[in-house]
Amino acid sequence: MSSLKNKVAIVGIGEVPTGRFPEKAAIYHAIESARLAIADAGISKDDIDFVMPTASLYSSQFNTELVTCRIPEELGLKNAHTNCQIFAGGSSGSCFLSMAGSLINSGVAKYVLCAHAERLGTGVTAQGGIDLFSQAGISVEWEVPYGQHYSSIAAMSTGRYLHETGCTDEHMAAVCVSNRKWAELNPNAAFRKPLSLEEVLSSKMLSTPLRAKQSNMLFDGGSAFIITSAERARDLTDRPAYLLGTGGRVTHFAFSQEPDVTRFGWAQAGKDAFEEAGITPQDVDVAEIYDSYPIYQIIGLEELGFCGRGEAGELFLKGDTWPGGKLPCTTNGGMLSQGHTGAGGGVALIVEAARQLMGKAGDRQVPGARFAVETGTGGTYMDAQVSVLGTEIV
Amino acid sequence: MSTNQKPGPVVNEWARPYWDYAKQNKFCLQQCNDCGKHIFYPRIACPHCGSSDVKWVEVSGKGRIYSYTVVENNAPSAFQADVPYVVAIIKLEEGVQLLSNVVECDPYQLEFDMPVEVVFEKLDEEVTLPKFRPVKG
Repeated sequence: MSSLKNKVAIVGIGEVPTGRFPEKAAIYHAIESARLAIADAGISKDDIDFVMPTASLYSSQFNTELVTCRIPEELGLKNAHTNCQIFAGGSSGSCFLSMAGSLINSGVAKYVLCAHAERLGTGVTAQGGIDLFSQAGISVEWEVPYGQHYSSIAAMSTGRYLHETGCTDEHMAAVCVSNRKWAELNPNAAFRKPLSLEEVLSSKMLSTPLRAKQSNMLFDGGSAFIITSAERARDLTDRPAYLLGTGGRVTHFAFSQEPDVTRFGWAQAGKDAFEEAGITPQDVDVAEIYDSYPIYQIIGLEELGFCGRGEAGELFLKGDTWPGGKLPCTTNGGMLSQGHTGAGGGVALIVEAARQLMGKAGDRQVPGARFAVETGTGGTYMDAQVSVLGTEIV
Repeated sequence: MSTNQKPGPVVNEWARPYWDYAKQNKFCLQQCNDCGKHIFYPRIACPHCGSSDVKWVEVSGKGRIYSYTVVENNAPSAFQADVPYVVAIIKLEEGVQLLSNVVECDPYQLEFDMPVEVVFEKLDEEVTLPKFRPVKG
């Protein structure tokens, strides 16, 4: 298989705040993010030849608009030869990198605009969101009749993990606290007030042992990035974010069919990505690990080899993952604090990885970040997608 | 359909025997005639070896709780009247696993790896759902 290592790079990023914006149409989040990404790349809008939106779940009408070329028309892109959607739920961001990267590397495209927008915060009610996610990605044959939904899914991963490792609720809560510390420094985050372990541990129980403040919340938002060849990237900027390695594993559709809900395919996907990049977790300066619930961020760090099984909770608890810590983790605040925007949670992590490598992370900049790892997973944690990025070709 | 009405399963034609047996309070799985492995959920062909030569067999209905949770709040609309209810992944003796509810128990007395056995709960005239309860003794 041909590798994308050192062949492509992110050269521009854009993002709008995550939150509740009843006055803003969903398309705004897409086109404003895209406009910011084009400006950040220092290219003309008419350099974009391929538009790659991901999907929206809140509205089939809006999703159809993304499919049927609304972004190129709204932005007046004169030289777009293709608009084609890529969607893998929460791993759409990672898939953007491999799919758009492949189009660049093969010569099919020169500048791909990858964009996401969603309106899950104001486009559906709170109960509507719960009901949407008691069906979206959940088997209507084998799981919906038993009252399955995403809280019960995360709770079953958490419960089994705590049973096997002897870790505690406090370790889970520490992930929320860590992510919030980063979100306090992120002007685009929905939650920016300090959060304590006690607040997390005293919040309402949803599905044992998962509590309300260990659950993401759904919001409106959007993010976008521009990807091009490594050669063009060098002409545009001194500091692009090169793609150094990717790895992926598809494990299941129905959550109940996953043989190990405390591991999934992360170990193999991570091994592939690190081997391709030729670096190890010890070389990584910033780990943008997909959260959505604390357990998945913990599993991600452990299975990728940043620490041993059952050890990640301590890293979150003692501050290694916090701003200024040894292993800065999920530095935009993740879906737990920046907010969950459907497929956008993963796209935002790619944008954040690039932002850190490009030195554009403002108050939360990890000084001298050279290597970043980003993870994404869709549906009921159906796949494990890992990307390694860096400021230089290795 | 009102969102508060309990959602029955979508029944595909190749899975219909599973639900027909359940209506008769029989717990049956597919088994591959070529590789001998049990199959869940029902498939159009064996997911282990690809064979289309599969049969239906009645099985013990016994297994263990691999993982579980007690749903207390923020349940889907149709299940709000049921809280607290237990959602669990059951690993069956035959080596397959499935999602179900654990019933006829105090949800807060359940344990990981606890032995359970199938019971049948009639949803309506059309559908009976296999559920599980702790094995007594």
